[in-house]
Amino acid sequence: MKKVILIFGVLSLLIFARPVLGLTSNSATATVSTTIVDSESAAEKSFISETIHGIQQFYQYTGFANAESGNLIMILVGIIFIYLGIKFDYEPLLLIPIGTGVIIGNIPFVAGNQTGIYEAGSVLNYLYFGVVKGIYPPLIFLGIGAMTDFSSLIANPKLMLLGAAAQIGVFATFLGALYLGFNLPEAGAIGIIGGADGPTAIFLSSKLANGVNILADGTTVKNLIGPIAIAAYSYMALVPVIQPPLMKLLTSKRERLIRMKPPRAVSQKEKMIFPVVALLLTTFISPSALPLLGMLFFGNLLKESGRTERLADTARTKLIDIVTILLGVTVGASTQADIFITKDSMMIFALGAVSFVIATCGGLLFAKFMNLFLKGDEKLNPLIGAAGVSAVPDSARVVHAEGLKADSQNYLLMHAMAPNVAGVIGSAIAAGIILSFLS
Amino acid sequence: MKHLLLYIDTLSEGYIILVTGLTVVFSGLLLLTLVFKYGLPLMLYVYKIISKGPDKKVKEISPKVNEEFTGEIAAAISVAIHMYLDVKHDKENAILTIKQARKLYSPWSSKIYGAYKNRL
Repeated sequence: MKKVILIFGVLSLLIFARPVLGLTSNSATATVSTTIVDSESAAEKSFISETIHGIQQFYQYTGFANAESGNLIMILVGIIFIYLGIKFDYEPLLLIPIGTGVIIGNIPFVAGNQTGIYEAGSVLNYLYFGVVKGIYPPLIFLGIGAMTDFSSLIANPKLMLLGAAAQIGVFATFLGALYLGFNLPEAGAIGIIGGADGPTAIFLSSKLANGVNILADGTTVKNLIGPIAIAAYSYMALVPVIQPPLMKLLTSKRERLIRMKPPRAVSQKEKMIFPVVALLLTTFISPSALPLLGMLFFGNLLKESGRTERLADTARTKLIDIVTILLGVTVGASTQADIFITKDSMMIFALGAVSFVIATCGGLLFAKFMNLFLKGDEKLNPLIGAAGVSAVPDSARVVHAEGLKADSQNYLLMHAMAPNVAGVIGSAIAAGIILSFLS
Repeated sequence: MKHLLLYIDTLSEGYIILVTGLTVVFSGLLLLTLVFKYGLPLMLYVYKIISKGPDKKVKEISPKVNEEFTGEIAAAISVAIHMYLDVKHDKENAILTIKQARKLYSPWSSKIYGAYKNRL
């Protein structure tokens, strides 16, 4: 065996060395000799300049030569994202992949070498495919379904309405975007930022504002997936900053002290029936949201059926982790400065902030409105209305923390989880409605 | 003028979507609320009658769930079980790992270079 390799090696060496040893055909040697004669005269002078030229050419390909101020700004933004994630623990599982993605996407490069995320055929472009075609969001929803415990919602179904109330943010932003001059599909995609649900926002924008669809008047919609996703995720991470002042503004001290009666225990049978019935009802109402709601309740059934623990375990750990990594990095990388830094992106960011505010206020005020009809220990602590903006489970945690600030013995987490998960269902339904109207 | 008309048209369509969208979301979740508030207990009650019917009289089956047993108690019990299972090991790991104290050979710490130093 060794001999065979040795012989093969020697043969291949000979083949490669043939031009050097001058064993090629006559015509080839003739041209080589002439070029050698030509170049020899200039060799001494040009050697150094050639080298410098080579270095210069190499320099042209480096990031230093191609850097523009936009790239540097975005790299700074990426570093800030990473810093916020590490230092303040604001959704680090999202901000660190996205922040790194922002840096990766904004390294300056020479176009045309299949490097960038928007160049067809590049590796990043293939990974971005899952975002553009809306593949990652349903997979994330599968994992969320397998993580979520709907029992507090089953115990107190009326809290479902708080999840609906917060969707007012979606439609108000939609209208605001129309006033700012976006066309209908773009405005729909921007509105869903108010749903405070990253996967839903990506899903809807990949269907409506993907830069491919052509409108009735012949113009192509803009590609807004990047700005919308970044706005949705960054405001979700900032929920602990945005929500508390609004809560204090809209609720009185007395209301914040309301203790809700503990939810009743929910039987396993109810938990098993919930995903099936909810799947049927919600998808019959809004079939366009089928990829999201179908996967959400499928994941939940895997968790609650009691027979598919292995599948549920994979869905809520490994699978969702893998998809989150890919989604985070590619969404981050899609903020390539020349495409991302536009007036539209700035407007989307402004609208996103407004939509979070409106959604939170909608939830809080609707909880107060419901209190008008409820008596005694049925009364709701209006703080839990703020959890109606999905952002699972961060907004529920914020509600819990605010409740504890008012009364250190009042644990609202379980109650807040109900509008929180209802918000996920609500924003998915809203996305389905917008999609069925506008696509 | 046409552009302005188009703009107003878009806005009016926007309002239509706003109103219908909100109505649909609300009614959808209201439907879910009603189903889970009244439909689900009814389904479970019917199920109880079907499954336990032959043994019991229908009157004896209560549609009410145990009100005393709240979610907080369930949560406390499940935390206790979780913590208990976390501490308990019914299968011990059979592989014992002892940290290797002896360093593998490395020329950086080799004595042999020190021993031959004078000869070189």
